[in-house]
Amino acid sequence: MGELINPHEIYLGTFFERFNMRFGPADPNAVSHWLSGGITEIAALQKEFEIFKTGRRFLESVALLGLGGDAVGPAKDRWIAYLEKLPKMKSDDAEQTGDARIVNALVANFLKGEPLPCFMQALDGRTVDPGHVIVSEGEPLFYLEPTKFLVISLPMRPKSAPGRG
Amino acid sequence: MNPAGRAWSAADLAAVHRTIESYYSTRFRQFGATPLGVDWSCVATQEMRFVQLLKLCEIGADCSLNDLGCGYGALLALLARRHPASAIDYLGIELSAAMVRSARRRWRGQPGCRFVQGEACPRQADYSLASGIFNVQLDQPCDLWEAFIRTTLDGLAASSRRGFSVNFIAAPAGRAIEAGLYATTPGPWLGYCASRFDAAVELVTGYGLREFTLLVRLPRVA
Repeated sequence: MGELINPHEIYLGTFFERFNMRFGPADPNAVSHWLSGGITEIAALQKEFEIFKTGRRFLESVALLGLGGDAVGPAKDRWIAYLEKLPKMKSDDAEQTGDARIVNALVANFLKGEPLPCFMQALDGRTVDPGHVIVSEGEPLFYLEPTKFLVISLPMRPKSAPGRG
Repeated sequence: MNPAGRAWSAADLAAVHRTIESYYSTRFRQFGATPLGVDWSCVATQEMRFVQLLKLCEIGADCSLNDLGCGYGALLALLARRHPASAIDYLGIELSAAMVRSARRRWRGQPGCRFVQGEACPRQADYSLASGIFNVQLDQPCDLWEAFIRTTLDGLAASSRRGFSVNFIAAPAGRAIEAGLYATTPGPWLGYCASRFDAAVELVTGYGLREFTLLVRLPRVA
């Protein structure tokens, strides 16, 4: 289970990075004006536009936030293709698809007085809860402890892995 | 004052306009009719700025609106969603000829909607808006850029019957912003608009972006 990732798709990490910069803790001393707002900016956008909404696909929402990737090319196409499959993927909640799990967790997070910053990462789809999108609260970055994040883990596995899934 | 000690001239300001035109035309060639093509991060932040600017306007059936620095006309999408019943007389003004062509194609057939190339509003409307046009200073001297801002604000006041709204990047406390951007505090520009136009100026902050918006309500002419 988990999406099959080709050996050359090293650029997938840039999409995580973009998400994590936009959804990260607000940086009062950011050099870049455009990235300084972090989760505070996203929370304000959510309040005004209800970007994440139960029943709306995660891909549609991140597209409004420009997180589909700047460049046109195979890496972007592959990322979009991955996100398109989220509604068919399972999650750590048996009642929700991978897509619904992410969207509903984000909606709940933004309803909090102070939403947690969010962190997206790849999950080894061969070993840990195979093929399941996992959403949890935790401290995924030891060097930022004790900052707590809403952690979104997307299952992936190498395309070359034989006999797995 | 310029390095020769004289006031900035119309030719100096024309050179600023050419630089801006060149910058945005390049962005547009690279990214097309998208937020990135007009130097915004995404649709949502682009529209968040419009929402603040539109707080000035009482949008009714016969409302007219100038959109200075309109890009590819993204404001029209938000107006269509939030004010579908209003027949707004819209004029988009844009320095980049490529963007004007794109906007005309994109909004062809839209009633009450026109686009012109230029650096100032060529008509008087109820309201004028300008989003982000003071942000990208590039390598212009700061006092020339501020002369450009004053000239533009004067033009917005002259072309607006009821008022105009603009936004700025808020200067971070105690430190410089990244090179090429213009950031400021509200006070000087709020004061400029209030005194020069005898206007009631409302400051809008706290909308999640490190920016502020000025809503400039002009005195009613008897």
